[in-house]
Order: sequence, then structure tokens, then C-alpha cells
Amino acid sequence: MAVGTRRRPAPCCPPAEAPTAWRDRTGLSARIALVGNPNVGKSTLFNALTGAQQHVGNWPGKTVHVATGTLQLAGAATPAQLIDLPGTYSLVPRSPDEALVRDVLVDRSGSDRLDLVIVVVDAANLARNLYLLAQVLDTGIPVVAALTMLDVAATRGLDLDAGRLGELLGVPVVPVRPRARGGLPKLTDAIERAVATSGRPRRALPIAPLGADIEQALGKLIDRITERSAGLQPVSPRWMALELVAADDGVGPPEAVADLMLQLRPDADRVRADLAGRLAASADGLLAGAAELDDLADTDRADDLDGDIATAVAERRYEWVHHIVAAVVHRPAGQRPTVSDRVDQVLTSRWLGVPIFLAVMWGVFVATTRLATPLQHGLAAVVDGPVSGSVRYLLERVHSDQSWLAGLLLDGLINGVGQLLTFVPLMVVMFALLAVLEDSGYMARGAFVADRFLRLLGLPGRAFLPLIVGFGCNVPAIAGTRILSDARHRLMTSLLVPFVTCSARLTVYVLLANVFFGAHAGTVVFGMYVLSIALVVLIGLALRHSIFRHHPREPLVLELPPYRMPTPSVVGRQTWQRTKGFLRTASGIIVVTVTAVWLLMSIPLAGATGGFGHVDVEHSQYGGVSRVVSPVFAPAGFDDWHATGALVTGFVAKEAVVSTFAQTYRAQQPGDLHRAGDLGTQLRASFDRASGGHAVPAVLAFMVFLLAYTPCMATVAAQRAEIGGRWTAFGIGMQLTVAWVLAVVVFQVGRLLT
Amino acid sequence: MVLRDCRPGSHVRLSGLIGSHPQRRRLLELGFIPGAVIQVIGRGAVGGLVVGVDDARLALDARTGGSMVVEPIE
Repeated sequence: MAVGTRRRPAPCCPPAEAPTAWRDRTGLSARIALVGNPNVGKSTLFNALTGAQQHVGNWPGKTVHVATGTLQLAGAATPAQLIDLPGTYSLVPRSPDEALVRDVLVDRSGSDRLDLVIVVVDAANLARNLYLLAQVLDTGIPVVAALTMLDVAATRGLDLDAGRLGELLGVPVVPVRPRARGGLPKLTDAIERAVATSGRPRRALPIAPLGADIEQALGKLIDRITERSAGLQPVSPRWMALELVAADDGVGPPEAVADLMLQLRPDADRVRADLAGRLAASADGLLAGAAELDDLADTDRADDLDGDIATAVAERRYEWVHHIVAAVVHRPAGQRPTVSDRVDQVLTSRWLGVPIFLAVMWGVFVATTRLATPLQHGLAAVVDGPVSGSVRYLLERVHSDQSWLAGLLLDGLINGVGQLLTFVPLMVVMFALLAVLEDSGYMARGAFVADRFLRLLGLPGRAFLPLIVGFGCNVPAIAGTRILSDARHRLMTSLLVPFVTCSARLTVYVLLANVFFGAHAGTVVFGMYVLSIALVVLIGLALRHSIFRHHPREPLVLELPPYRMPTPSVVGRQTWQRTKGFLRTASGIIVVTVTAVWLLMSIPLAGATGGFGHVDVEHSQYGGVSRVVSPVFAPAGFDDWHATGALVTGFVAKEAVVSTFAQTYRAQQPGDLHRAGDLGTQLRASFDRASGGHAVPAVLAFMVFLLAYTPCMATVAAQRAEIGGRWTAFGIGMQLTVAWVLAVVVFQVGRLLT
Repeated sequence: MVLRDCRPGSHVRLSGLIGSHPQRRRLLELGFIPGAVIQVIGRGAVGGLVVGVDDARLALDARTGGSMVVEPIE
């Protein structure tokens, strides 16, 4: 094929509208978006097309994750930008993610308008995928269809004629196998050709016709839109006419066209009334059955006009779709139930669904904690051993091993990096398991099974997974909220996860329970877990009825993709990308905080003996800060600087609480938490003193505070990455308030009882 | 009869949807249009359903299953 035929239009004949827009995009030759239903292999195709040249992050000004990458097209001087938009079933949005897809497709006003949309079409589920394609055609952007899952279709005995499909749709259709990188050269060819012609004076683009009556109504509105917008046409007139006729569902129109739509409202209302009349007269579709539904339905009649037109539009579109499907798909006679269906009869069944789901969750929980432990120890050994050793050696060589520099490097920076690294195995294991669950298709089943229970909190079933993982470690749990597609659900789950008691908090419970409760230690520790679950439920309910009370309660309609073997490349890539994202956002915060704690512990208070870095904890700034904060906990019965000091380090990492106790009491850190020895005696003495003889309620109050307040700096860092600084700050405030109030209640009530 | 009352293994034809307009619209867009053939594949623990429509498999909660008016196919 000659390269010349694919070249962009020469400067002599600029495109009709927006003459230079595409050349102004900071060196990008074209903007191309990938659009498709969820689970059709869209992101896999994106990865196959862009390779390593990609960036994952929030869309500017939105909390929607979007991946962008580049693609070098033949004949173009600079690469094209490829945008992997969130999966959606429709361009009539029901969530912020879906609204973003619509906005990017519809807004043709700015310089970042799209030149081409690649619609990824699932061959095994052709009808519903073509429905979305029909909507994309209405936006007036040139379309190339990438046909995936032909292998799945083949296993079901479906025979599909891709060439004929392309003819009937009027757009290029290219079969691809993104996992095996199959069909990519042909797809790139089709993209190059489509991009080369997309700027040319517009030829008629294909559309999905909706029948004479609706088309006539659209025609009238398109005329009015063209008059009003004076040829500027920030959006496709056909899309806008459809939006005006079939009314949007509450998310609201894209900002770029809101004014114009408002101006056209009166025209639209006339056209709609007229159209509704015609549809009723022709009495087709749902309207025929409407009378018999009336006695069953308590539908508000006021929105029936909108409802009837929207129904007619959807029906007509499906009519077009089914006509095409019938022409291109050959089905075997007598269909057998698929393997996937038979597996589902077990995995989602009435009796086995819940136990299997709980077993899978338990497996994920055990794996994140157990599999990661040896890796964590290994990494810690490397940091404490060879890394610290060589730095110390180097410092000795330059005779500064006793200096503040040694302290800063060894106890500050290297210690901080070490703490950060111990989280990496946890994250890797957790992300790999998430990817396996998603890629295999089980995630959707689990979400279905757990849906009923989490719905009480206004969360979808999938939110169960991060909450369970939180019992191991809150940090991967918060990062794991990414499996939720709706930003509002991610936010609420991220706010709840810190109340899930993680394994680091367990070490403190075990130490204190053994010191204070002896034989009943097990019961007390178990009680902390029960309290943790109760807190998640109660705070979830409180949030749902306060901050999140305006969130729509969506009915559950969840696609179950066919089961398949997870592929190592997909799992590996996703694990790597998510881990990389965590490290990028969390590393700074963790290292800085650990260094800050070291600094506080090294600076002596005024008048203390010993210089910088040679002061004991009690007489350092750290001890000073602890003593200042301490009286806050007087009503909770533990106004004691040792306890407060432990809580301050606990804010950085709960793993450090026991060692801080040891440090502040100058006791040996117990090798076995069940036999605390000297440390135990000192702990009993200070809780006894601080509480005025009510040590038991005081220590319970301390444990409750420890359960409910901010888990660690790494969690804060993860939260900031997922939900932003302001919500993270809100979360910390909520945790501290809840923790303090609970601790005070526990101590005051307990004091009366003992 | 509504979809929720159907036995697993049965095939039914959708006659209409009850419910508010936005909810109906998303169901329509997923292929639950009047006249569509729905295959009831399984039933979950708390009244949820797994159904087939066109070539897709969808899980519905009990309420959504109760909002679909269907008639049996002979």
C-alpha cells in the first residue's frame, strides 16, 4: 500500500470546520478514543496498540481514571494520541464515568475534539455492542469497529461475517485478537485511512435510522439547531436533536452545549408532544402493552411522555441492530447451555453462592497476608542488612558515622524507604489477585452474591473485596477500591476501610490484652474485630444517610462475562501499573514522615543533657510533643506521655507502636508478645496511675482509640492518591473524632462499672 | 407474571417494564426491549436472578426481576 494514499490532507485544502485545530495539539497528529462496553477487551487492545507509551491518571478536573497513550501512524509526522475511555453501555450516562465518555465524544468545540473513535465490539455479544456503536455514529465522529472475542463466539458455534457487517454498518470492521496481538496491522491500517480522511469536507457519515416518524422529528430540530448555532456547531446536530427529543436522565448535558440546549427547549417540547402523539397513534412497541401494565405499575404518568419516546428510540435502534445481527451471524440450530452457564449454576446458586464467595474472599485475605510476609521479611533484611551496612561503612570511611548525617541517612531516609518497601509485596500480591479475579470473570459473580448485603450501606457488591483485604492491610485495600467504577463508591469505601482493623493493629491488641487480661486475652482481641465490623457498618450507615444521601440507589443489573483463563500478560501488566501508581503517590509522604519522627526524636528539649541525636526519648522534642498532646486523653483515662507517644508513632505506622512502648520505657522489646515481662509491669503501672486506679477501662479505651484512629501514613498516602487531599483530611478528622469519642465513652462507662 | 417468578431453565418473552423512566431506559438499552426473549439461567441466594438476553448474561436483583412483565413461550 502506498504511503501517499494515507497522508493527511495537504495544507492546500484544509478541512471545512476547525481548519487548523488538529495541528495545534502540541505535536499530536490526531486524537483517537477507544469506546466500548465493559469486558470487551478494550483496555487489552489499548495496551497492545500503545505498548509502553502510556499514562494512567485522572481526567483533568474529574475523578475518573483514564489511560492515554500514543500511536505512530504511517505518513504522520507526529504520533497520534489514543485515549482509553471507561467502559460504558450507553451514551446516555448514569454515572460520572459514563458522563465523561459522552462529554469527550460529544464536545466538538475545543481543540481537543476527536478525529476518530474506535468502537470495540464483542462478537459474542453483538447486539448490545452494536447498540452503543449506533449511538456513537450519532455523534458524527468517524468510526472504526474493532471486533473482539471471535474465539468466544466460535466456541458457542456462532459464525460471523465481518465483511458483511462492515458493509451493513457503513464503517470499517476489523477482527482483532488483542491478547495475541492478532489483527493489529490491519486495524492500524484502517485507523490511518480513517484519520487521513476525517478532516476532509464532510461526506455523509453512516447513521442508524430510527424510523420515519422519529427521523422527521429529528429533522425539524436539526434545522432549528443549525439556525441557532449559526454554523458553529459545537456538537453533532443529530446527537443534540436526539438528546432534546429523548430527554436526558439527570446527569445533565455537557457544559459546552447546556446554554444552546436551554434555548432550544421550547422548540423541542413542541416536537416531542407531536412525536408522542404520532407514536401513540401508530400504537407500536411498548405503548400497545401500556394499558395492561397500568394496573401493575405505579409509574408517575408525568414522565411517561419522555419514557415513551425514549422507549421508542431504544426499540428502533435495536430493530436496526437485530436486522444487522440476523444478516451477519449464523447460529447453530438447538443451542446447548455453555460451560460458563453451567459453572454459574453452581457459583451463583442459592445454597453454594455465598459459601463459595466467602471462601474466595478468605483466600484473598490469607494470600495477601501470608504470601507477602516472607517477601516483606526478605526486603526488610536487605534494607537493614546490606543497604544500611554499606551506607554505614561509607560513613565510617569519611569519619562521619556518629554525625547527624548518619542519623538522617540511616534512621531517617533509609528507614523510611524500608517501611515503604515492606508494603510493596503486599501491594503486588493484592493487585495480582484482583487482576486474576477480574480477568477470570469471578469478580462479577462475587459482586452479584455480595450485593444484597453491601446495598444496605449503599455500596455495590464489589466493595466487599477492599473491605476484606483491609483486615490484612489497609493500604492495598484503599488502592483496591479502583475495582469500583463509580468515583462516589470509591470515595465511600476509601473512607470506611481505615475502620477495618489491620494485622499491624493486632500486634498491639495482643501485647496489651496479655498484659491486662491474661486468660481472657483471646476474647478481648476477638472483641476488637467485632467492634471493627460494627464500626464499618455503623459509619457506613451514617455516611449513607448524611454526605451520601443524595446518591441514586441503582438497581443491580450486572453483566456476567464468560469465564476464562486469566492471562499472565494481562495480570502482570495490571499489577505493575497499579503498583507503580501506588509507589509514585505514596513514597514521598511515607519517607518524609518517618524522617520527621526521627528528627523529633533527635532534637533535645531545652536544658536536656546530650546533644543532637544523643538524647533519650523522654527528653527529646518527641517526648515534649507527646506530653503536650497527652492531656487530650485525660477523659479517656490514659493521660500518659508513654501512651500518647505510642499513638503518635502509631499515626506513622502501627507496626512501630510496640517498639515505641519499649523505647519510652527503656525496656527490652518483648520477643514474645504473650510474655511482656518488664514492659508489662511498667505498662500496668502507668495505666493505673493515669486512670486513677481504673486501668482496665483505660486500656480498653486505649485499644478502641487505636482501632479507630488513622491507621498509618501509608494509608493516608494511598487515600490521597485515590480520593484527593480534601477528602483524606476529612477522613482523618472523622477517624480522630470517632476514636476519641468512643475511647471516652468506653472509659467513662467502664469506670462506673468497675 | 413477572420475571422474578420464573423457574430457572425457562424461556419467557418480555412484554414490558415497570418502574421510573431512567431505570427503564437503562434496561431497554441493555436489550430488555418488549418482545425480547429472556432465558432464566439461575437464581441466587436472596432472590437475585441470572438471565440471558440476546447473547449476554446479566445478573439482576430481586426488585429488577420484579419489574419485568413477561409471558411464557410455548
